Amino acid sequence: MDNNKTTTTTPEPIITLRPFTLADIDDFMVWASDDKVSRFCRWDTYTNKEDLIKFMTNTVLPHPWFRAICLNGRPVGAISVMPSSEERCRGELGYVLGSEEWGKGIAPAAVKMTVKSVFEEMEGLERVEALVDVDNKGSMRVLEKVGFLREGVLRKYSVLKGRTRDLVMFSFLSTDTMHP
Amino acid sequence: MITIRPFTISDVDSFISWTSDQRVVRFQRRDPCATKDEALSYLQTHILPHPYYRAICLNGRVVGSISVKPGAADDDQHKASVGYRLAYDYWGQGIATAALKMVVESVFSEWPRLERLEAMADLENKGSQRVLEKAGFEKEGVLRKYVSGCAIAAEVACMMYLSD
Repeated sequence: MDNNKTTTTTPEPIITLRPFTLADIDDFMVWASDDKVSRFCRWDTYTNKEDLIKFMTNTVLPHPWFRAICLNGRPVGAISVMPSSEERCRGELGYVLGSEEWGKGIAPAAVKMTVKSVFEEMEGLERVEALVDVDNKGSMRVLEKVGFLREGVLRKYSVLKGRTRDLVMFSFLSTDTMHP
Repeated sequence: MITIRPFTISDVDSFISWTSDQRVVRFQRRDPCATKDEALSYLQTHILPHPYYRAICLNGRVVGSISVKPGAADDDQHKASVGYRLAYDYWGQGIATAALKMVVESVFSEWPRLERLEAMADLENKGSQRVLEKAGFEKEGVLRKYVSGCAIAAEVACMMYLSD
């Protein structure tokens, strides 16, 4: 045993998920007002708090499954699963993360936690799917790291900010194995 | 000669002949019409008011149907999905393919905002997949456990046709 060596380790960031409250509005504004974050999202970058409060109240708070991604207790992003209105076996995953926190493994960790939770909590759920813009390489990497399967490119599937986009369909089944 | 035309109430007898046939409705998501009353009701409440629901006719005789459902939300007006059914005795003669080709041409010219026409076929439904391929659809992928039917989630292949 070598007692003379000093080692410094950076403490592992603690990533947790919890429901949002209106008290999180300022933290939410950090990523909601960031063009880099909203680029592939259907919503436009938020420029004022009132609009964001409306979004929180109308969409986030009543949502079937919407969580704050917290880094050491502070919300740095959001993740949600929307059950399909047509089929109870599937739900759609969506997530955003403040750009300052990109590249640290936070999104994959949040996705893993979310997928585990929703398969336990949502009755009849067998498939979690995610649709990613063909240009959104970062998001594709997140899903691949978790173990999602890339199923194919759905051409001209969605209109994003006035333009028709090709989207890549990813899925993770309740029977699939998550990457460690 | 294969033609497409809107349905009328008097088509109910032809309609019921295939709509209750297990071989035809096997991969269908809605329950088949078991009685003439159910068929009439479906014709009146779903088919006649539908934005695009057509009878497939062979030499004037109704042998199947084909329908195109436009995208629901404001954001989805650029896309629509197509489905078709054919009486069992008429399978294997290229009728569905011919009807589908006619409908593809028709909807892309009638709906100027349409950019994507999609269709789903159960992974086991090889017949329907062949129809789509022959009509020019491209297979985009297999969506695993995409739909639940009869308490068993099935896999489906999704194909589409782009207007260029």
